[in-house]
Amino acid sequence: MIDAALIDKINNVLAEEFEVDIQKISPEAPLMDTLDLDSLDLVDMVVLIEHNFGFTVVAKDFVGIKSFNDFYHFINNRINEKGAPK
Amino acid sequence: MKKEPQNEWSGKSRGGASGYLIFVFIIRRAGLGAAYALLSLVALYFIPFAPRATASVWQFSRHIIKKGKFASALFVYRNFLNLGISLIDKTAASAGLDKKFTFEFDEPANVSEILAGNSGAVIIGAHFGNWEVGAPYFGKYGKQMRVVMMDAEYQSIKRVLQAQNRLDAFRPIPITDDSFSHIFEIRDSLERGEYVAMQGDRLTPNGKSREVLFMGKPALFPMGPFVLAARFGYPVIFYFAVRTGLRKYRFHFSLYEPQMRQSSVRQETDILNAYTAYLERVVAQSPEQWYNFYKFWL
Repeated sequence: MIDAALIDKINNVLAEEFEVDIQKISPEAPLMDTLDLDSLDLVDMVVLIEHNFGFTVVAKDFVGIKSFNDFYHFINNRINEKGAPK
Repeated sequence: MKKEPQNEWSGKSRGGASGYLIFVFIIRRAGLGAAYALLSLVALYFIPFAPRATASVWQFSRHIIKKGKFASALFVYRNFLNLGISLIDKTAASAGLDKKFTFEFDEPANVSEILAGNSGAVIIGAHFGNWEVGAPYFGKYGKQMRVVMMDAEYQSIKRVLQAQNRLDAFRPIPITDDSFSHIFEIRDSLERGEYVAMQGDRLTPNGKSREVLFMGKPALFPMGPFVLAARFGYPVIFYFAVRTGLRKYRFHFSLYEPQMRQSSVRQETDILNAYTAYLERVVAQSPEQWYNFYKFWL
């Protein structure tokens, strides 16, 4: 179970950074398409994760992340693994 | 930022590895003078047989630097000749003949300090002059330089390096169409204190770009190098090596210092603006060393 506060934080950070309507973000929505991400936006995503969630991401972390739900689980798992601050 | 750039470069450079290896052979067997002599004929050959490149240089001469028709015809030949000389010289320099060259440095103290320090640095160059001829110079600081390039370009260079048994001398960061791994490689290299070199003047397929007034006319520049430089937070150095005479080069360096006066200007735009202003100055001094052989201006 993922903490609702963490999901809110992720949604807010993504909506603000990628300038999308937060209403468009839902667990089943496709992450890349909803945020209209390309390879350069991925640079922003890497920096955003590191600054907001306190861990370093590597290329393989993004393999298999299709929906926001996948993304929530990825962030949650890495925070729990590393004991990084939420 | 714009997508679907109109002056997109294909990701491949003209001139095969075989032709390059012929010059390597001549430099080794007959010396630099013989290679230059052969080049004077090869440069002529390219005028009719590389029509797209010839047209782009002609347009540059006529419409950007405003030369007349006769002067532009000479300019096209000199431009191709200069490109060939830069290829020969970088080959010679990387093969250990760098003592045959004279290098002058326009390196401000703030740049020397960064290059000599422990921090990684982003070095942004251009398809102008001969930046590779200075690669051995960066080695004096005892750091690895990683060069970010299109995978198609790297595959061509790889054939040459393999033939010369020098594959380990060059550690590129290739950009492939179907992977984002170069982003992480760039970040990791910078964290290890390495230099990461990128070209700031050439679009990549499907890459974002921004229109800039460059040498008086609008042109598209890629945003990739500038976004990477802005986000990772390492020092950014603009670097160009200009040929100033026979076997003589001058290295120009400039450390990017933020000029953002309006909070609405994003840092990548500020870096891009500083880069194009500096590039414009050095290109204006040596326009015959500008090597973007495609429709660069809109």
